[in-house]
Amino acid sequence: MADSRAVNGRLSGRRRKRPSAADKIYPMLLVAFGCICLTVTGSWHVYTDPLLGGGRKLFDAFSASVSLWSDSHSPAEDAEDADSSGGQQNSPQGGESPGAEEAPDDQQNTQPDGSQNEQPDEPDTGREDETEPEEPKGVSYQTVEDDYFADAVFIGDSRTVGLFEYGGLEETGTFYASTGLTVHKLFTNKIVPVPGQKKKKITVEEALSQNQFAKVYLMIGINEMGTGTPESFLEKYAECVKHIQELQPDAVIYLQSIMSVTGERSEQGDYITNEGIDIRNEGIAAMADNERIFYLDVNEAVCDETGAMIPDYTHDGVHLKAQYISLWKDYLKCHAVALDDSP
Amino acid sequence: MVFSSIEFLLFFLPIFFILYGLTPNRCKNVTLLAGSLVFYTLGERRYLPLLVVSVAVNYFVGRFLGAGVKDKRVNDKNKNYSKVKYKNQNGRGYELRYRERNRREWRKAVLFFALMGNLGTLLIFKSHAAEEALPLGLSFYTFQIASYLIDVCRGDVPAERSFFKFAVYITMFPKLVSGPLVSYGEVSEALDNRRMSWRNVQHGLKLFTLGLAAKVLLADRIGLLWNDVQVRGFESISTPLAWMGALAFSLKIYFDFGGYSLMAMGLGGMMGFSLPDNFKTPYMARSVRDFYRRWHITLGRWFCDYVYIPLGGNRRGELCTVRNLLIVWALTGLWHGGRGNFLLWGILLWMLIVVERQMQAFLERHPVGGESIWKQLSIFPHLYLWAVIPVTWMCFAITDVRELAVYLGRMFGAVPQQIVLRNDWSRALQTYGELFGLCFLACTPMVRRIYRRCRDSIVMDVALAVLFWICVWRIMAEGNNPFMYTNF
Repeated sequence: MADSRAVNGRLSGRRRKRPSAADKIYPMLLVAFGCICLTVTGSWHVYTDPLLGGGRKLFDAFSASVSLWSDSHSPAEDAEDADSSGGQQNSPQGGESPGAEEAPDDQQNTQPDGSQNEQPDEPDTGREDETEPEEPKGVSYQTVEDDYFADAVFIGDSRTVGLFEYGGLEETGTFYASTGLTVHKLFTNKIVPVPGQKKKKITVEEALSQNQFAKVYLMIGINEMGTGTPESFLEKYAECVKHIQELQPDAVIYLQSIMSVTGERSEQGDYITNEGIDIRNEGIAAMADNERIFYLDVNEAVCDETGAMIPDYTHDGVHLKAQYISLWKDYLKCHAVALDDSP
Repeated sequence: MVFSSIEFLLFFLPIFFILYGLTPNRCKNVTLLAGSLVFYTLGERRYLPLLVVSVAVNYFVGRFLGAGVKDKRVNDKNKNYSKVKYKNQNGRGYELRYRERNRREWRKAVLFFALMGNLGTLLIFKSHAAEEALPLGLSFYTFQIASYLIDVCRGDVPAERSFFKFAVYITMFPKLVSGPLVSYGEVSEALDNRRMSWRNVQHGLKLFTLGLAAKVLLADRIGLLWNDVQVRGFESISTPLAWMGALAFSLKIYFDFGGYSLMAMGLGGMMGFSLPDNFKTPYMARSVRDFYRRWHITLGRWFCDYVYIPLGGNRRGELCTVRNLLIVWALTGLWHGGRGNFLLWGILLWMLIVVERQMQAFLERHPVGGESIWKQLSIFPHLYLWAVIPVTWMCFAITDVRELAVYLGRMFGAVPQQIVLRNDWSRALQTYGELFGLCFLACTPMVRRIYRRCRDSIVMDVALAVLFWICVWRIMAEGNNPFMYTNF
């Protein structure tokens, strides 16, 4: 670019004068605006975190780079590791419920009982009893047609958006889904468009209290994996289910398993792993009471024998390609619960 | 570490430049070298030894090659003297000349093996490793070393005597990871003597900000559409969406790479280096030939200087030119990656360029109405470019050849669609329409012209400072992920 000529030392060499204020103004503006920006967005922790808590992190990064040959992952990942492990104690996002997380203190995450004791107001009937004999009791499923979903609502993240767009249920079912949705924001994000009003959107909570459904399908949980622990997630998830039940007392609630990712994606080295998904799914499965709340292991439809999503079905390892969404939908159609009281 | 990351923008950039500014002029190269190594280590520490070994070995190779050249020059200067001296000693004069020739042969052999070693390493990594595992910046610094060795051997530039300066030339962090490819002659003076003045810092920072904005606010945003298309699966997109996806990728790769080059230029400028410009509004070109004279200019220049012209360029008849072009484009494809689709991309561009050459020759032989047809129909060449380039980019972007066939099939309606969301393209247009408009505007020379005109006005300063922090804010919001897909 022609500007490079000006940047080059020649120009400044020609004018042999002391640097005027005009030459310093941009760096100064940058610093000034930076202070404003960091203050307004409350992001000073970017600097303070490494200074206060992360002296250790810097040291880690340093010692890691000194031992060049010791292992193979990059310091960026180190930083993330430090983040996610530290996240249990002091991450800003997880800060809302750290007390509740640390209190149980047992990391055998497969037992939701520990976290259940944390919530005395969780009177789901006979849940403890149900967890063990869930399989023997059995639920009878029937196969249904698309119109089964006419009085169903699907709640979820971008994967449910995919089901909405390519499942062929656009007209039939109702979808309260949005990319990036988490259990933490499930009821507070304004994601449901109001029919008739173009721009206005309301929260899922409002939408659920305005409309009644016979079936609620919920698949959520992949976006939460970067923050908190399985316990904190399951706790929040249980709260959400309970609240949905309050809002939709007559509905059958289907808790769909969090869909696994491909083996490649799982081993990519960030927070999304199939192990993490499995732990959460076990917890979700335990929430089913098989009376009004049922657990559907959607992974049966899209995973291979190792429990990972089949690579051909996806581009990014997380979302099903449009043409394979039907596998998921067909699974749901084959797993409609035959309730005793239903005709 | 990428430039558009929090670690770089809020930590490395200020800390490095403060330290660099405080360093006395004599030691600035040491600071720069240390900074570059830290920069590389933060990005990829596994292959740091490879970089260090490469620099060290090639320094000595360069010295050897350069020493020969210098001898020759001295001999040239002292020709008369030596003639007199050896007038009566024909035997020894012959011996000297013989030794000189012998030495020249040696130099050629050493150059050959050094190039083989460098480029062979690159080739091994390209063919064996998956794309992710390629050592950071290897393609770029290998090509730079190769250009240095060839230049030294040709006698175009003297070999660098100082190891520090040579190491700085190769590892200089603004251009280490993805160019521009700088030839040694362009920076040798600045390596010895450069000034870091407030003026340079200010202009450099402004260029950096423009590049950052192109990367963060345009490339990353429009790239979401391309990602979206991929996630849906190529069988399930409508033809208009397929074109929009291709267009989105075309814009993304331009603002991504162009932004990066601009940032590199800015950073170099802050230290007093003038790095060459890599992009000159390529999408304003009127033919594919023209496009690649404006796109990744330094790579094109490399292939021109070290492959095309040594092969005879365009001076040995049309057939030979076509062959040379084929070699250049096949190598360019290979340079981008060892997979079949890159070769396909190169070959496709070669075909387009050959056809354009023939067309032009034909039009020159049969002028229509005195004026060349291309000039009368000034809009058509642009349309042609915008139609052709996205197709070639798809060959570049989709590494799986089977998938590529599906995508091209969808673009031209040759592959039946599977399950397509009705009006998927108009939904995409609603979401990305404004962004497309903004990107098109940024493809024109307008932005650059405005920038150049008001570069020193206070309004521009404020605007750019705001822009910089908007970018930082966006990066923070998007989780500091170069591929920005943190949310599902």
